[in-house]
Amino acid sequence: MTRATATATAAKADAIVRCENIAVAYGGFQALQPTSLAFAPGQIHALVGQNGAGKTSFARALAGIVTPQSGRFFINGREARAPTVRQVRQLGLDIVHQRFTLPPSFTVAEALELVSAKKHGGAFFSFNALARSWLQELKAAGLEVSPRARIRDLPIETAQSLEIARALAGHAQFLILDEPTALLSPSGVERLFARLRQLRAQGVTLLVILHKLREVMEIADTVAVLRGGRLVLPPTPSVQLSQRQLSGLIIGEMPAAVPGASPREDASIPAARRGVQLAARQASTRQSALEPALAGVSLAIEAGEILGIAGVEGNGQRSLVDILTGLMPVAGGSVHLLGQDVSALTHHQRRALGLRVVPFDRLTQGASLSLPLWENVTVCDAPRFRQRRRLWLNIGAMRRAARAALQQFDVRYDSLEQAAGALSGGNLQRLILARELAAAPQALIAAQPTRGLDFRATQFVWQVLRALKEGGGGILLVSSDLDELFHLSDRIQVLRGGRLLGAFPPPFDRRAIGDAMIGAQR
Amino acid sequence: MRSGLAASLRALVPIALAFALGFALFAASGYDVAAVLAGLWQGAVAAPGSLEQSLRWALPLAIVSLGIIITLRTGEFNIGAQGQLLVGGLGAVAAPLLLPDLPPAIVIPLALLGGIIGGALWSGIAGALKVWFNSDEVINTLMLNFIAVLLIQWFTTGPFKDDSTRGENASTPRIDLSFRLSDSSGVSLELLVIVVIAALFAWLLVERSPFGLQSKLVGSSPRVAAWQGLRIRRIHILTYLLAGAFAGLAGALEVLGPSGRLVTGATPTLGFTAIVVAIVGLLRVPGALLAALFFGGLQAAILFLPIVTNLPSSGLRIIEGLVALLITAQFIWRRRRDSASESEA
Repeated sequence: MTRATATATAAKADAIVRCENIAVAYGGFQALQPTSLAFAPGQIHALVGQNGAGKTSFARALAGIVTPQSGRFFINGREARAPTVRQVRQLGLDIVHQRFTLPPSFTVAEALELVSAKKHGGAFFSFNALARSWLQELKAAGLEVSPRARIRDLPIETAQSLEIARALAGHAQFLILDEPTALLSPSGVERLFARLRQLRAQGVTLLVILHKLREVMEIADTVAVLRGGRLVLPPTPSVQLSQRQLSGLIIGEMPAAVPGASPREDASIPAARRGVQLAARQASTRQSALEPALAGVSLAIEAGEILGIAGVEGNGQRSLVDILTGLMPVAGGSVHLLGQDVSALTHHQRRALGLRVVPFDRLTQGASLSLPLWENVTVCDAPRFRQRRRLWLNIGAMRRAARAALQQFDVRYDSLEQAAGALSGGNLQRLILARELAAAPQALIAAQPTRGLDFRATQFVWQVLRALKEGGGGILLVSSDLDELFHLSDRIQVLRGGRLLGAFPPPFDRRAIGDAMIGAQR
Repeated sequence: MRSGLAASLRALVPIALAFALGFALFAASGYDVAAVLAGLWQGAVAAPGSLEQSLRWALPLAIVSLGIIITLRTGEFNIGAQGQLLVGGLGAVAAPLLLPDLPPAIVIPLALLGGIIGGALWSGIAGALKVWFNSDEVINTLMLNFIAVLLIQWFTTGPFKDDSTRGENASTPRIDLSFRLSDSSGVSLELLVIVVIAALFAWLLVERSPFGLQSKLVGSSPRVAAWQGLRIRRIHILTYLLAGAFAGLAGALEVLGPSGRLVTGATPTLGFTAIVVAIVGLLRVPGALLAALFFGGLQAAILFLPIVTNLPSSGLRIIEGLVALLITAQFIWRRRRDSASESEA
């Protein structure tokens, strides 16, 4: 530690960005305690910590998005006290957000023209001229994207590259990336890291907020750790640190046991549920705007089994989940649930047969952020709570059921009436699991169930999925996180270009599966 | 509970502001503000018969707003209550005119049912267009209002023409007194009972039925509703049918109550004021009932005021319009603030 402090002190002298006693509070909540640190130029710095550790608050204060409660910055030696986004950008600091900020309905050229410091059109301009000049700009940045494409239609990786290009067009010398890998596929992460190294070679200093230690070790020159709003490790060269040391710093004391474990243990499970729970036979879909069409996809999930679907994002995962749930019709082939052909049934009817789903995006698909917790848990099952004479609902019973479900899955909340949007990501995912697993489903589709969750919440979700499997449920796990798939799956299949490639049994060969995902020849 | 009180107080802010702006306008135009204020109080509350008159307008406003609550909660902006009300009136006037010899015990329920069905069908057209063709409901319900007026005009100059006139006032003949639920005052025990039953039914529907909870989810987060397997089309169709049913019932009560016949021009703004009533009532049934009393009073004052001051009735319509404008502004402002704080988290 002394060596680390020495390095940090040395860095202070010629630091590109230095913070003194920066603190951030939202209302009464102290997100970041007074924090002082400095970043040396020309390096890739990683900032790590659990959800709620204060990483994003720190980044936002630095970028001028939130006004710090106290403290001051020095960017390139110039002092900035409570600066605005614009002032910070002029000083050469920019941020690429976790959720992208380019307007979804704009075309690429329009969006870039809007946000870029460098204008290509005058007060009036023709769209064609704008598209042409931005096309050159994009080509120069090595981006294969049409300036006429709509932002909302872009794959995540491309949208992110555009955000980076936007920041660099403003001559940023210090670039913050807030969890840039959270939404990327493994190969996307590789390409991003290559790009970051390239930027470092060009002299840009980078501050990358990361969740996964493997990524930190791979990319970062120095690592700083926040825990509970406090800096527990100033920027320290990563070569001096082991993954083990780092995880200790991030998590603090290890929890004795993940709470709320094994929700199925006390439920009464039919002793033997056998056979194929969920299957697709030669299923295909029509071409969609966002993903390749599925072509002759066949899969079968037995009771008590987790089938993992690996693949680079955008290779048909959403379509696969959509046809299995009934949110999208199959163009050919069939879908089977518990031995019954359900191809023509709606999602509603498939749920009635025992299918449950953890959707891709908990914020827009999983739960209504504006409705109270108890409604979010019970609304789908509302007809079950009719009074005896079936005239109206027993709200008391609904709230009791919701409270029991939330307690079983250890959701931390203040009141059943609070809006679901007030929950943290991990707690919201627990709520969704509590709702979807309440009826002990026979078939579960879990789409990216731990995306963006911290270590502890991820462990919890894994434990719940394993418990469901041990109770005889069949689970389809769609994930872009190979570690997760390796942890949980009994078999893995790879989805590439709308086709499902051969099954990989354990022990899983990271190399072989990775090659299948990107279509590498061996 | 406290947040409920705070929300109610917040709803009063735009109303107070609308009155302040309106009266500033009157003062600037040279009207005697004190006299207008006194006239307003007189017309809504104090003058003999004015409370009855306020209630006369509050009752149909309340019923129509119950239907609006249901549509707004489902996230549908149905502005066709005015047309649904008229077609409901048409459905209601049919039984008394075509079956004048049957006893009231049969004709009155038939007329009420006719009103409910007429309104529901008219609203159902917009609902069907929305669900099966994804056709914009704002445009459709608005246009159906005009079609409803023309439909009534055709009926009142054709099949249901009042033979004592040449059809110039576009009204049907008066229905037999035995079929009436109230005299021209528009207030009677029967009407009150019907409104109370309708409000109770609406409250159960909104707060205590699977439809009520699920339609709220459809309105607030349609994608979540889809992933939850809710039958969204069914909920949408039901929403429109119910909203039209309430408006149609109000139309029927106008025919069987104060009007005693169907007239296109009798209630030209009721279906629109009811939207404001629903929003001021925070899309809740008790709130809408209170708001209906307030706007009923305003309506009574609008009709009374030209008698005691030189302010034309359109003066108070300005206030009514300002209330609608400011309420909407507040609604949008708060939604923006909420979504801003959501993305903050």
